[in-house]
Amino acid sequence: MFLFILKRLVQIVPVILGVTLVVFLIMQMVPGDPAVIMAGEGASKETINELREDLGLNRPLHEQYLSYIGNVFQGDLGNSLKNNQPVMDEIMVRLPITMELAFFSIMITIVLGLIAGIISAVRPYSFSDISVMVVALIGISLPSFWLGLLLMYVFSVKLQWLPVAGWDSTAHIILPAITLGAGGAAIVARMTRSSMLEVVGQDYIRTAKAKGLKGHVIIYKHALRNALIPVITVVGLQFGSLLGGTVLVESVFAINGIGRMIVDSIRTRDIPMVQGGVLVASLVFVFVNLLVDVMYRVFNKRIDLN
Amino acid sequence: MTINSAEVESVNLILARKKLRREKWKTFFSSIGKNKAAVVGGVIILLYISLTFLAPILAPYDPYEINLQDKLQSPSLAHWMGTDDKGRDILSRILYGSRLSLGVGFSSVAFGAFFGIVLGLIAGYYGKWVDTIISRCLDVMLAFPGILLALAIISALGPSLINVTIAVGVFSIPLFARIVRGSTMEVKKLEYIDAIRTLGANDFIIIFRHILPNILSPIIVQGSLRLATAILSAAGLSFLGLGAQPPSPEWGAMLSSGRDFIFSAPYMAIFPGLMIAILVLGFNLFGDGLRDALDPRSKK
Amino acid sequence: MEKEVVLEVKNLKTHFISNKGTAKAVDGIDFVLRKGETLGIVGESGCGKSMTSLSILRLIPSPPGKIVDGQVLLKGQDLVKMSDEELRKIRGNRISMIFQEPMTSLNPVIPVGEQIAEALRLHQGLSKKQAWDRSVEMIGLVGIPSPEKRAKQEPFQLSGGMRQRIMIAMALACTPEVLIADEPTTALDVTIQAQILEIMKDLQKKIGMGIIFITHDLGVVAEMCDQVGVMYAGQIVEHQEAKNLFNNPLHPYTQGLIGSLPKLYEDQEELQIIEGTVPSPYDYPEGCRFAERCPFAQDICIQKQPNLIQFDENSKVRCWKYSDEWQDSLAKEVVAP
Repeated sequence: MFLFILKRLVQIVPVILGVTLVVFLIMQMVPGDPAVIMAGEGASKETINELREDLGLNRPLHEQYLSYIGNVFQGDLGNSLKNNQPVMDEIMVRLPITMELAFFSIMITIVLGLIAGIISAVRPYSFSDISVMVVALIGISLPSFWLGLLLMYVFSVKLQWLPVAGWDSTAHIILPAITLGAGGAAIVARMTRSSMLEVVGQDYIRTAKAKGLKGHVIIYKHALRNALIPVITVVGLQFGSLLGGTVLVESVFAINGIGRMIVDSIRTRDIPMVQGGVLVASLVFVFVNLLVDVMYRVFNKRIDLN
Repeated sequence: MTINSAEVESVNLILARKKLRREKWKTFFSSIGKNKAAVVGGVIILLYISLTFLAPILAPYDPYEINLQDKLQSPSLAHWMGTDDKGRDILSRILYGSRLSLGVGFSSVAFGAFFGIVLGLIAGYYGKWVDTIISRCLDVMLAFPGILLALAIISALGPSLINVTIAVGVFSIPLFARIVRGSTMEVKKLEYIDAIRTLGANDFIIIFRHILPNILSPIIVQGSLRLATAILSAAGLSFLGLGAQPPSPEWGAMLSSGRDFIFSAPYMAIFPGLMIAILVLGFNLFGDGLRDALDPRSKK
Repeated sequence: MEKEVVLEVKNLKTHFISNKGTAKAVDGIDFVLRKGETLGIVGESGCGKSMTSLSILRLIPSPPGKIVDGQVLLKGQDLVKMSDEELRKIRGNRISMIFQEPMTSLNPVIPVGEQIAEALRLHQGLSKKQAWDRSVEMIGLVGIPSPEKRAKQEPFQLSGGMRQRIMIAMALACTPEVLIADEPTTALDVTIQAQILEIMKDLQKKIGMGIIFITHDLGVVAEMCDQVGVMYAGQIVEHQEAKNLFNNPLHPYTQGLIGSLPKLYEDQEELQIIEGTVPSPYDYPEGCRFAERCPFAQDICIQKQPNLIQFDENSKVRCWKYSDEWQDSLAKEVVAP
C-alpha cells in the first residue's frame, strides 16, 4: 500500500508540472503588457521599463517558466496586478471558504445520491424507482446557476427562510451547497442504481438468499459493499465538476471563494490572480484524485494481485 | 465488349457489401427507434433545431428592439414570456438565442470530437511512447477541475462567444480521446485486424476504414452526452459574462441580466434557464437511450 | 425397514411466463428423499433439473418464474405454501444448497470465515465468538489446512477447489437435514472433483443428512448416489436404485444415455448418440416427449403422454413400453396389412 502511494505520487509529478506549464503558457497568451497595467495610467516609459525588468518580463520564455515554477514551490504566486498584494495571501483567505462549500456539497452529493440510488435499486421498475430516476435525469440537465437562482428566489425572496447571499452563518451554506451538490447527487444516484442492479444479479447474492439471510442484510452487507466500489470512482470525478462548479455558484450567491476570485480576475485581467487560482484549484483536484485512488484500492484489495 | 466472369464476381461482391451496409444502418436505426428515451430525446432535439430555422418566422418581435416604456412586463398575451429590463420581448430573444446555444454546442463538440478522435486513434493504435506522451497530455488536461481549463483559455483569448466555443471545444478533447483510445486498443487486438494487415493494408487504411467504423457507437453516445455538457458549460460561461456579450440573446447571458431582476421580474431568469434545461435534457435522454440501444449488454 | 422420509416432492410444476410464451421448465416432478440417502437427478442441460432444485427453496427468479402447482414437504411441512419468514428460517438451516460455480458464488469482499459465521449466528443464535470458532472448525472439517488463517481470507485468495469446500462448510455449518448440491463438481478439475465428493460422502455419514445431487455426469452418479431420477423435458422419466440403473436401464432415453458412454472393455468404432434434439419447453408435444427420438415409438406414444408407473418394487418408469396397453398396440400393428 505504501509503495502504491509512493508510485502514484511519482506519477503525478509530471502532471503537476504539466498543469503549471499550461497555466503559464496560457497566461503568456493574454494580450496586454502586465507592466503597463500595473504601472497604471499615464506612467512614463521609464517606469514601465523598470517594472518590466523587475518582473523579469524581458527574459526568454523558458527562463521565465523556470523561475515561475521555482516561485510556486516556495509559495510565491506573484502579486495581484490590481493592488500588488501577494496572490497567495488572497488565496489563503479564500481557499478555506471554497473548501467548506465543496465539503458540504460533496456530502450532499454522496448522501442524497446513495439514498436515492438504493431506494431505486431495491425495487426496480417500481414507482419509486422510476420517479427517482426521472428526477435524477432532470437533475443532471439543470444548469447549476439557474437552479441556484431558482432556489434563491423561492427560499430567500418568496419564503424568506434563508439568507440571500454571503457567507456569514450556517444558514448561508444551505442553498449554495444544495445547488452545487444536486447535479452530483443525480449522477451518484444513477450510478449506484445501475451498480446495485448488476450486483443483485450475481451468484453470491443467490447464495446469500439460500442461506436464509434477511432481506436488509443481503442488501446492506452483501450487495452494497460490492456495488459501492465503482461509485467511489464516480464520486472522485464529481469532485472535479464540483470544484469547477464553485465558479458559478459562488458568483450566484456572492460568496468570496476562489471560484469567484478567478472570474473577477479574468474580468479585470489580473493575470497572476487567475494563474494562482487555477493552479491551486487544479492541485487540490489532483491530490483529491490520489486520495480517491487510494480509497478505491483499500476497498478493492483484489487489484493488489494484478 | 464482353464482360468476363471475374468482373461479374466483383460487381456482385460490391453489391453484396452495399446491401450489408444498408442493413446494418437499418438495424441501427430501428434499435434506436425502439428505445423510448432515445426517441423522446431525439424529438426534443429536432424541435430545438427547427426553432433555429424558424426563429425569424415565429418571433413576434425583433429580439434587439429596445422599448423602454414596455420594460419589465410580466408574461401577458402581448408578450408570452414578458419583457426584460430594456423592454425587449423575451420570447423573441429566446427563439433567436436557440441559434447561439445550438451553434456553440455543435461547433465546440465537433471541434473537440475531431481532435479527440484523432488523438485517441493515434494513441490507441501506435501505443508505446506515442501513447504515453498523448496520455500524459490528456491527464494534464483532465487535471483541471470542471470548466477551469475553459476559464483559463478565455482569460487569455478574451470574452466572446467564439472564444467560448474554442474553450469548451478544447476541454472536450480529452473525453473523446480517452474513449477512442480505449476502444481502439480493444479493436486492435481482434484477429481480423491482423488478417487485414497481412493482406497488405497500411496503417492509415486500417485506422480509418477498419478501426474507426467499429468504434463509432461509443463515440456517438459520448457525443450526445457531451453536447449536453457543452451547452451547459457555454451557457455558464456566458452567464459569468465571459461569453456572449449584451445585447446578444444568448440564454446564459439572458440569465445573467435576469439575475439582477430576480426580485421584481423572475420570469426574466426562469425562461432562459428552462430552455437550456430542456435542451440539455433532450441530449441526455438521447445519449442515454442510444447507449442502452447500442450496448449489447443491455438487459432491458 | 425403510429409512425415514425427509423430503417429499409431489407434482411440482414451475413455469416461466414471458412474452415468448410459457416455458414449462419443471412439469410434474415427484420424488422422495430419505434420511442418509443420496438421490441423484440426472439429465442434460435444459431438462429442468436445476430449476427443480431452486424450486425446492423457492429461489426461482420471480418475475418470470412461478411455482404453479405441487408440494414440497419437509417432514410434512409444505415449503411451497409457507410464508417468506418461515422459509427463511429453513434456508441454510434445515435445507442447504451448494451451487455449480464456486468462483462466483462467494461474496468477493467478505472474508470466508464470516460468510460461514453469519449463518451460524442467524440460525443457531451463537455469539460472534462462538460462531467464528465453529466456522474455523468447519473449515478444518472440509479438509482445508490452517483454517484460522484461511477464515480471515477473501475468496480471491483461495483456489476453486478450496472455494467449493468453503461452500460445503457454509452449507453444512448448521447441520441441515437436506443438502441440495447443484452440479458442485462440474466446474472443477477431475482430481479436485474426487476430493470434493469424498468430503461430501464423509460428512453425510457424520451428519446423516439426505443429499439431492444434481448432475449430468453419470460417472458421478455411479459413485455418489443410492437412488437416481432421470429427467427429460421437465419430467422424471425413470427412477431406480443407482446400482440397477447401469445394468438395467428401463426408459429408452436412459438406455441411450448409458449406451452413449464409452466403454473401456469393448471395442467401439463410433460413440452411440441419441438422434434428434430436446423439445422446447415452450412447446411440448401432446404425447410422450421423447417419442420423436425414440427407436421404439408407436402411435400411442405420439398421441398420449405416459404416466410414471411402478415397474417393480424399487423402480418407476414413464414409458408406454412397460404398460398394459403396449401389447395391444403391437397387436394392432401386426393385424393391419
